[in-house]
Amino acid sequence: MSATTAPAAAALTRRKLPASVRRRRFLLAVANHSLLIAAAIAFLAPFVFILLTALMTNGQALSEHLWPRPFRWQNFVDVFHQAPIWRWALNTMIYAVLATLGVLLSSIPVAYALSRIRWRGRNFAFGLVLIALMLPPVVAVVPLYVMWAKLGLVGGLAPLIIPSWFGDAFSIFLLRQFFLTIPEEYLDAARVDGCGELRILATVVLRLAKPAIAAVALFSFLYTFNDFFLPLLYTRENPSSWVLQIGLAEFRSLHQVQWNLTMAATLLVMAPVIIVFFLAQKAFVEGVTLTGVKG
Amino acid sequence: MRRVGIGLLVALVLGAALIAATARNSATAGTSGAKADNITIWVGWSAAELKAFKGVVAEYDKKHSDVTVKVVGGINDDKITAAIRSGKVPDVVSSFTSANVGQYCNSGAWIDLKPFLSKDKIDVNMFPKTSQYYTQYKGKRCALPLLADVYGLYYNKKMFKAAGLTSPPKTMSQLTAYAKKLTKKNSDGSIKVAGYNPFLGFYAGNAPDMSAYAPLFGAKYVDGGGKSVISKDPAWSKMLKWQKSLVDWYGYKKLQKFNAGAADEFSASHAFEIGKLAMMIDGEWRVAFIQREHPSLNYGTAPAPVDDAHPELYGAGYVNGTIIGIPKGVKHKDQAWALVKYLTTDSHALAIFSNGVRNVPTTKASLTSPDIKPDARFKTFLKIFANPNSKTTPITAAGNAYGSLIQAFAVKWQAGHAGDLTKGLQKLDKQIDAQLKQAQAGGVP
Amino acid sequence: MASAATAAVQPLDRTRARRKAAWRRRRLVLLLMAPWLIGFSVFFGYPLVMSVYLSFTHYDLLSSPKWIGTANYRYLFTQDPQVGQAVKNTLWIIAVMVPLQVVFAFGVAMMLARARRGAGFFRTIFYLPALAPPVAATLAFVYILNPATGPVNILLKHLGIEGPLWFQSPSWSKPSLVLLGMWGVGNIMIIFLAAILDVPRHLYESAELDGAGPLQRLRWVTLPTISPVILFSVVIGVIAGLQYFTQAYVAANVASGQASQAGDQTVNNLGYPEASTLFYPVELYQHGFRYFNMGYASAMSVLLLVVAFTITVLIIRNSRRWVHYVGSAK
Repeated sequence: MSATTAPAAAALTRRKLPASVRRRRFLLAVANHSLLIAAAIAFLAPFVFILLTALMTNGQALSEHLWPRPFRWQNFVDVFHQAPIWRWALNTMIYAVLATLGVLLSSIPVAYALSRIRWRGRNFAFGLVLIALMLPPVVAVVPLYVMWAKLGLVGGLAPLIIPSWFGDAFSIFLLRQFFLTIPEEYLDAARVDGCGELRILATVVLRLAKPAIAAVALFSFLYTFNDFFLPLLYTRENPSSWVLQIGLAEFRSLHQVQWNLTMAATLLVMAPVIIVFFLAQKAFVEGVTLTGVKG
Repeated sequence: MRRVGIGLLVALVLGAALIAATARNSATAGTSGAKADNITIWVGWSAAELKAFKGVVAEYDKKHSDVTVKVVGGINDDKITAAIRSGKVPDVVSSFTSANVGQYCNSGAWIDLKPFLSKDKIDVNMFPKTSQYYTQYKGKRCALPLLADVYGLYYNKKMFKAAGLTSPPKTMSQLTAYAKKLTKKNSDGSIKVAGYNPFLGFYAGNAPDMSAYAPLFGAKYVDGGGKSVISKDPAWSKMLKWQKSLVDWYGYKKLQKFNAGAADEFSASHAFEIGKLAMMIDGEWRVAFIQREHPSLNYGTAPAPVDDAHPELYGAGYVNGTIIGIPKGVKHKDQAWALVKYLTTDSHALAIFSNGVRNVPTTKASLTSPDIKPDARFKTFLKIFANPNSKTTPITAAGNAYGSLIQAFAVKWQAGHAGDLTKGLQKLDKQIDAQLKQAQAGGVP
Repeated sequence: MASAATAAVQPLDRTRARRKAAWRRRRLVLLLMAPWLIGFSVFFGYPLVMSVYLSFTHYDLLSSPKWIGTANYRYLFTQDPQVGQAVKNTLWIIAVMVPLQVVFAFGVAMMLARARRGAGFFRTIFYLPALAPPVAATLAFVYILNPATGPVNILLKHLGIEGPLWFQSPSWSKPSLVLLGMWGVGNIMIIFLAAILDVPRHLYESAELDGAGPLQRLRWVTLPTISPVILFSVVIGVIAGLQYFTQAYVAANVASGQASQAGDQTVNNLGYPEASTLFYPVELYQHGFRYFNMGYASAMSVLLLVVAFTITVLIIRNSRRWVHYVGSAK
């Protein structure tokens, strides 16, 4: 019986759909694509405007003209003369790299303990992680500032970097969710071989969890690169510690600043992230998906 | 396992080392050196202006071989407060925000200078009354003035000539009339050249707490007891009504569009400097800017026009300035004081510094010092500064927090969203008093 | 005899061995959890407790905290003229931006899921703005929406429409921020896309066989299946809305056009124009770090904590009604 229905079923799926249905589907696809194109234009337009303005002279930037005449590529060089962009970039890199390193080194062990070791109080600890995740950090800001002020560290990057070395709730959460999906067999095999738990963590788990770790590293880097609030709080009064975001925000406040240069600076600040994205596209998208689907 | 442990440890140590290396790039506090003492002074100036200040300090260093002064620029009040809090203070500090002197004196963050003044027999009356006012709080003198900012009228002589006007306006009604005459519009109705832009928030002369206008109308902020009297002083309603009527004449939205298209206040395309604005009230520093950026601009300066009902106020203006003092916890008090004394009372030093940054020197003697580079247009501001009716905004123990409340009301009023003026001002008074009380922890402001 | 002895010894050995193993495990867990345990106490627990303490004091960092009881809270709830506006603004941004972002992200994701050709290319374009640092994106938007010289109003003028004042108008400033927020929905969109593509085909097919049209399939198959993702986006959006700071701060500073040097306290642009962009975190920052009224700022943060907690709990509890976890019995 099945022998006869199988070829019949195959024939069913391969039979062509009636013309009207095909036409409707085609029109819908066209409509969908047109909407996509329109949306894409809307999404890209701001980038285009920024680029055009970055190439104008200052007078033009304040006028009603939309197209730069002539193209002033010199602006991108002038930006570096106007403001200590390299210094800001260096500070940003110090912050981003050290913080990301700290997040990874401190969150991975915690996530492992919360997912692959059974111990009393594990669920309670995880609940604490969830609470830390949900509540706005703005709430903790005042006493922490007082603490750092008493330690004399306000004005530098230390208050930004040090907390990352003590775990980050979001990264712990993400890593834990991922670690949970590792089949116990891999770990058991290693245990049978006589590996201690730490060795298992360092070798087996890390290797298997590379995508999650990459995602966490990427997110952490992105977050610290884009961070404005914490650097504002702790380094606003000390321009030698400014990161790119603070510098960009204050760019207009420095003497003799023009919109065209500001837009050029804006593009320069956006560029690294976009470049990193193109290089690590797969990891990015996987990482974002991880947070949402596993969350 | 050991490998992982060691690896972690190494990473932690490296991290700690790197963090220490990136620790705050701050000036060291005054060290207790045995030989030539090092003292540190923090100032708010940066770039070219800092260079000018360093030149003044270099002269001091030459005259005083027992001290070497280290200058750190770009400081502001957040940093000063943080330093005092953590105990690592420089020997001398200076701030652009004279409004904070209330907090500094009241909390003892800056030490009382009276004993030093009496020891060196310095009479505070060598400073103009207004500068005396914004360097003390309730009799406690914890600061001295170090160069001041003064606001006056700038007007474009070329445009005046073209419109048949011969002299700058002296009263508000003249200002209004001239403004209307000098304004030019585009074909689509938008403003091409504004005679006078009264929009609160547009450039420094339109500070939304009305500080630039208050002395011109004789408007008082607080009474003798420190209570807000904005609703009781008729000058306030007059001032706000005048301002709004001129804004409405231009058209609120049209002015906003004009402002949005105007260049940044400290850029070379400043609206007045490129001829988009015929008159404006601005600080004395603008003279130096114009000299640098548009030396061919044909303009004049004069005291700002005053309320028609108070012609006796003509010649006065809004004043505030940089303050300088010694934070608590300083070891080399005497040497710190010597530097403060030199910077604030030596006519030569003040004149040289004033030349460098084109701010107004703050002693009566230095105003007429021969060391000042003569400039007819800058002289206007020296005269305004010396005028007894020139005023500054009230000093409270909570800094300029009340200014924000006034600002919130004034911008709403200007937009026509504030309803009845009297009622609004009464509510404003209550808010200011309550805020001051709160900032004082229930104590008397 | 030996066997009896060994038999007696064995259980003891085993429990001792087990206890030793448990001890070793506990030590291991402590080692692994140590960084976070310290971090949680120092950077989360301690500030929370301190915030509550400081909220009952008057503290300006220059002298020690002075106990004033509930004065801060009294001022906060009855007398502060700006706080009411700040609360309204924050609630507005949550109520408007979160639904718009979720719906918009979902819509774009649906379009992407439907498209067969070039989906990857479009996906990249839609995701790109989400990568732009908030400061840069805000600066860009303030310029683009400049009422006099920005491209948007110029284009509108060519079409004969007089563009609004965008960031210069108190009624248009928050919508302008919402536009900025919608430009950056890339993150949420990607998550929606993954979830939509994950919906099992057979659910659609059986619905189709039952005679469900496209809209009904959307309502009864797609939405319920991706409802956990919707919940996630809503919660994330609300938490972000409660902390909305950077874009408001930068927009107010830049749009007001006033050159305020860092640390210059005589110029206060936050909330420009007319307190329309004064959000609760911005107001908190102002009180704590511009006026150095730290006791009062702590009171504000305690209030924010309570509100955030309540709203999150409410949403999650309410979600049980409409969120459908795949595989769980309903």
